[in-house]
Amino acid sequence: MTNGLSDRVAGAVLLALAVAFWVAAGQYAVTFGDPVGPAAFPKLVAVPLGLFSLYLIFRPDPDPRWFVWPGVVGQAATLAVLVLYPLLLEPLGFPLATALASAVLARVLGAAWLAALVLGVAVGGGLFLVFDSVLGLPLPLAPSFSF
Amino acid sequence: METLGFLAHGFAVAFTPLNIVLALIGCFLGTIIGALPGLGPVNGVAILIPVAFSLQLAPASALILLSCVYYGCMYGGRISSIMLNIPGDEPAMMTCLDGYPMAQKGKAPEALAISAIASFVGAILATIGLVLFAPLLVRFAIHFGPAEYFALYVLAFATIGGITGTNPAKTLLAAALGLALGTVGIDPQSGVPRFTFGVFELFDGFDAIVAIVGLFAISEVLVLLEEGHGGISARAVRVSRAFAQGREIAASAGAMLRGSVIGFVAGVLPGAGASLGSFLAYTMEKRYSDRRGTFGKGDPRGVAAPEAGNNAAAGGALVPMLSLGVPGSGTTAVLLALLISLNITPGPLLFQKEPDVVWGLIASLFFANFVLIAMNLPLVGLFTRMLAIPMWALMPFVVMVSFVGIYSISHSPFDLFMMVLFGVLGYVLRKLAIPVVPVVLGLLLGADMESNFRRALSISGGDYAILFQSGIAIGLYVLTLLFLALAVFLGMRERRPPGAEPEPAHD
Repeated sequence: MTNGLSDRVAGAVLLALAVAFWVAAGQYAVTFGDPVGPAAFPKLVAVPLGLFSLYLIFRPDPDPRWFVWPGVVGQAATLAVLVLYPLLLEPLGFPLATALASAVLARVLGAAWLAALVLGVAVGGGLFLVFDSVLGLPLPLAPSFSF
Repeated sequence: METLGFLAHGFAVAFTPLNIVLALIGCFLGTIIGALPGLGPVNGVAILIPVAFSLQLAPASALILLSCVYYGCMYGGRISSIMLNIPGDEPAMMTCLDGYPMAQKGKAPEALAISAIASFVGAILATIGLVLFAPLLVRFAIHFGPAEYFALYVLAFATIGGITGTNPAKTLLAAALGLALGTVGIDPQSGVPRFTFGVFELFDGFDAIVAIVGLFAISEVLVLLEEGHGGISARAVRVSRAFAQGREIAASAGAMLRGSVIGFVAGVLPGAGASLGSFLAYTMEKRYSDRRGTFGKGDPRGVAAPEAGNNAAAGGALVPMLSLGVPGSGTTAVLLALLISLNITPGPLLFQKEPDVVWGLIASLFFANFVLIAMNLPLVGLFTRMLAIPMWALMPFVVMVSFVGIYSISHSPFDLFMMVLFGVLGYVLRKLAIPVVPVVLGLLLGADMESNFRRALSISGGDYAILFQSGIAIGLYVLTLLFLALAVFLGMRERRPPGAEPEPAHD
C-alpha cells in the first residue's frame, strides 16, 4: 500500500483555499436591504470545502501513478502545444498555427513525420474553411508580424 | 390531452428545414462520437457547445443539435463494444460482455441489429416517458419557493456522484470546489467583485463553457496520452450491414422492454446516469433470464438489455434536467450549460415560458430516433470503418475544434488559456479520483443556488430557520441524508478486502 501523499497534498491545497476563501469573503460588506450580503454564501461553501479537505488529509486514498513512461514526454509536449497555441494564434494566423499544433500533437500521439504534416495541413486548412468560409466565424488568416 | 397539443406544436417547431438538417447532422456526428473510443457523449457535446453557440443558432435549434448528438452517442457506443470489445463510451461497457462474443462467433450483423433495435426501443420509450412524467414533475415543482430550491440543489450536489465507485467525500469536495469557483466574479446582487484579484477578465466569473471544454475534452487528451491508446489501429471485422431474423429479435423483445423500464427509472433518479442504467439492466436481465448460463458467451438478450437500458436512461436523465433544472448526469449537466449560456433559465417555468424549446426538443428526439435507427441499420458499415481512425488523427482534431469553438465565442486568447488551465485541473482531479462533473455542476448552478439562498433569507429577514421550515425542504434534506448514508455504506463495503464477499460488479 502507498502512503496517500497525493491526497494529503491535494487536501492541504484545498484547505488553504477554503481558509483564504473564508477570509477574503469576510471583507465583502453587507449592503443595505440585503440581510445576507455577498459574503454569506462563499462562507457557507468554504465550510464543506475545508471539512472535506481535512477528511482527505486524514483519510487519503492510495496514490495514483503520476508519471507513466513514456506518456510523460508526450504529456509535456502536449502541454507545451496547448500553452503556446493561444500565444501564437493571432501572430501566426489560424491556418498556420493550427497546422503546426496539430502536426506536433499527431507526432506526439505516434504518427510518422509525413503523416503528421499531412494531418496538420488538413486540420489547419479544413477547420479554417469550415469555420471561416462556410460557417462565417471570422478567424485570423494571415500571419501578422506586428507584435 | 393538452400534452398532445403541445407535442403537435413541438413537431411544428422541429420540422423546419433548418432543424431537420441540424437533427440529421447531430445524429450522424453523435453516432461517430459515440462509436470512437476516447470520445464519449460528454466530450462530444462539450466541444460542440461553443460551436453551436457561436453560430448563433436559436435556442431550440442549438438544443436540438446537441440533444441529437447526445442520443446519437448512445446508439454509437455499442458499435465498438461489439466489434472491438472496447466500449465506445462509458455506458456501452456492458454491451461488450455479450456483444463481442457474438461478433467472435460470426454473429456481428445480428449483434449490431439487435442492439440498434434495442437502442431504438429504449430511446423511444424513454422519450414517451419524458412526455408523460416531465409535466407531472413540473406541476409538483411549481410550488417550490427559494428555500425548497436551495434544498433541491443540496440534494443534486450530494447525489451527482452516484452511489457506486467514487469516494463520497471526494464527490462532495468536488461540488464545494465547483461552488467556490462559481462565486468568482461580480456578485450580481450587490455589484461587489469577489475573488477576482483585480483581474478584469475574471469580473464575469469563469465561463462555464470554457471550463467544461477544458475539464472534459482537454483533460481527456492528457489522460489518453498516458494510457497509451496512442496506436489503436483496429482491425475490425468488415461488416457492411446489420441484419437479424425476426425470430431472434422477438426472442430478445422482453429483454428490451425490461431494460428500457429499468434504464428509464435509473435515468430519472438523481445521481444515476446512462452507465448505471445499462449496468442495472444487464444484471437484472441476467438474473431474470439466464437459465442456461449463456450470458457472457454471446446471448443476444445480453446485448439487448443494456443497450435498451442506456438509451432509456439517457432519455430519463432529461426529465429532471428539463423540469427542475437539475441534471442527473455529466452529459445533461453539459446540456444545461448550453441552456444557461443561451440565457434560458431551466426549471419548471421553462415549460411555460419556452414551450418552443421544450416541445420542439421533445419532438425532434422522436424524429432523431427514427433517423438513428435508419442510420444504424443500413449504414453501420460506414461507422465500423471509422473505428479504424487512429488516435493521432482524431485527438489533434478534437483539441483544435475545442480551441476554435472557444476562440470564436470571445476572440480572446485569455479564454483559451483558461480552457487549458481547466484542462490541467481536470487531469489532476481525475488522477486523484475526484470526479469532475460536480465541479461543473457547481460552476453552473452556484449562482442560482446562491440567489435562492439569499432570496429565502431576505424573505425571513436573515433568519436561517426558513431553510428548514417547509415539508418539501425537509423531505429533500432527509432524502439527501439517506442517499449519503447509502453511498457511505456501499463505499465501506467496497473497500473491504477482496474475498470477504463476492462483488456483484464482476460476476
